[in-house]
Amino acid sequence: MTSTTLTAVPVAPRTRRDGAAHHVLAVARPFGRLVLTTVTVLFLASVVTFALGALSKSNPAAAVLGETATPDDIARMNHQFGLDQPLVPRYFTWLGNALHGDLGQSWFTTVPVSDSIRQALPVDLSIALLALVLAIVMGVAAGVGAALREGGLVDRAVTVVCSIVATLPPFVIGIALIVLLSVKAQLLPAGGYVAFDQSPTQWLRFAIMPALALSLEVAANIARQLRTSLVGALRENYAIGAEMRGYSRRRVLFGHVLRNAIAPTLAVIGMAIPLIIGGAVMTEKLFNLPGIAQLALQSAQRGDVPVVLGTLLVTAVIVLAGSLVINALQVLLNPAARRGGAHGGPR
Amino acid sequence: MTTVRNLLRIPSARVALVILGAVVFLAIFGERLAPHDPLHQFPDVLANPSGHYLLGTDYVGRDVLSRLMAGTRLSVIGALEAVAVGLVLGVPTGLASVWMGRAGEWVSLRISDTLMILPFTVFAIAVAGTLGNGLHQAMIAVGVLTSPGFFRITRAVALGLRTTQYVEAAELMGASRWWTLRTHIWTKILPNVAVAGAHAMGTALLIVASLSFLGLGIVPPTPTWGGMLSADLGFLEQQAWAPIFPGVLLMLTVGALNILADCIREASTGQVRRRRSLWTRATTRRDNTPIGVPALAGGVVVTEEEDQRVYAA
Repeated sequence: MTSTTLTAVPVAPRTRRDGAAHHVLAVARPFGRLVLTTVTVLFLASVVTFALGALSKSNPAAAVLGETATPDDIARMNHQFGLDQPLVPRYFTWLGNALHGDLGQSWFTTVPVSDSIRQALPVDLSIALLALVLAIVMGVAAGVGAALREGGLVDRAVTVVCSIVATLPPFVIGIALIVLLSVKAQLLPAGGYVAFDQSPTQWLRFAIMPALALSLEVAANIARQLRTSLVGALRENYAIGAEMRGYSRRRVLFGHVLRNAIAPTLAVIGMAIPLIIGGAVMTEKLFNLPGIAQLALQSAQRGDVPVVLGTLLVTAVIVLAGSLVINALQVLLNPAARRGGAHGGPR
Repeated sequence: MTTVRNLLRIPSARVALVILGAVVFLAIFGERLAPHDPLHQFPDVLANPSGHYLLGTDYVGRDVLSRLMAGTRLSVIGALEAVAVGLVLGVPTGLASVWMGRAGEWVSLRISDTLMILPFTVFAIAVAGTLGNGLHQAMIAVGVLTSPGFFRITRAVALGLRTTQYVEAAELMGASRWWTLRTHIWTKILPNVAVAGAHAMGTALLIVASLSFLGLGIVPPTPTWGGMLSADLGFLEQQAWAPIFPGVLLMLTVGALNILADCIREASTGQVRRRRSLWTRATTRRDNTPIGVPALAGGVVVTEEEDQRVYAA
């Protein structure tokens, strides 16, 4: 195969099947490709972000002083924020600083952007993680339940939830949860936030509802994908054979079929990460959480360009990191790569 | 043309088209037919439905029916604009990527990856913060992020067809690339793009609604479905039923678009499957496998350059 790889390891002849070395090679090739892809995408995301800033007509003086800004003010503040430099060197300075964790200063408060983001980020990350866990637990349970009894109660419930989340904007679900759980049942607070390291139990009280709102759509997607692959796999010869040999349906499902359904489900989870991060904007506003999207929204309203760009870049990096993990898992779970088969890698 | 005829033969497609036709009608004439001025504030705040206010009034006393009718236009135009931007950016690049050679192909795939990792709402906020807050800015932002969907489906179809015998035969006989594209490939791409477009339209409608909830895109006094929905949800104590009207309109439209997409898929494969109910069509998982590409039946991956995500979805 003449595919380009980043690995420096020489390609071993296909006939050799000497365990470890071959295994490493088979996994290294798709991993090399993954790293190259990720770095390129990261670079392109930074270009998109910077381009937005460069296309923007707002400048710090006009944003801070408004109508009263004189040309002198504009020139002075442009110089202060380095906006009087040519675009290309400006981009590389910005990128170099960003790689060192410095995203510039807010035009309004001159607080470093990375400090504001560092404060807001744990809110989002903790809630997104909780949402992901909830989604996987609920989705897998519902998917298996639906596959165990096709057309049963769980199966129909999954379909209904799917159609609701697919045809209504996400904030409606959040509001429905607030009405049900805090206004009617008065179980949970309707909004607010306590940091996890202050009090984990209090954090959970505030975080569980936003996480639930975020996870419903993803859980429904996981359940649907899992159900489809499970039902398909249960009709395969090996599953029918196992059942004929007297294994219970449950045992066939958990022992044989489930592991084959993991790969497509992982793909669904990978695509859920931008959904969860994007949905966080909605939930933050609804539940009044001091997260990164609130920061972006407030900065966007007053034209604070560096903060807006910083939040966009950080969000992109988070989504990218999430999908990198999922992709790496897919490569590792791919039996062809594990066995060191023909060419390895996802084909 | 056979596809259109097949489509009209499917009962579900007719239902979906009637619903969408009504929405288009409202978008064009809704403002003129509305019984009241959608911005006029009557003294009866939060009134129940009555002979005078057919669907009641909202929190400042505006007639809900009139606002719904007048709000259709901007909601629909917003979504249409986003899908149009996505089509214009995605389809030609998807076609070009197949004939661009390895390097160009790789770069175009990475650009589409980049656009896929940017979440809609965060990107729309960033665009509003840098380029200004307005319907057009928001919708172009959404359109740019929709384009990878069109890019990938177009590319997958072209990639699968390029190696079919009739395309190779045409090329051997000296047909120009442009001729092959026009005669053999374009007709196969069209239904795929139509399916993707119907889905994207539904998604865009929901995103327009979400953005107006965040105060992006269309600014409050102007009526839109999403804006009304989010405003109504603030007065649930007084009018628990109010969000149902814009909510149902949104659900009906998005549902009709999903049904239409499913029917186009069925009509263009030529084989009408065992009758599926409206409900099944509206709720089944999106099928992203390209239509009418023999080499791709069963979701086989064609190139070594992954491309898994088109089929994984």
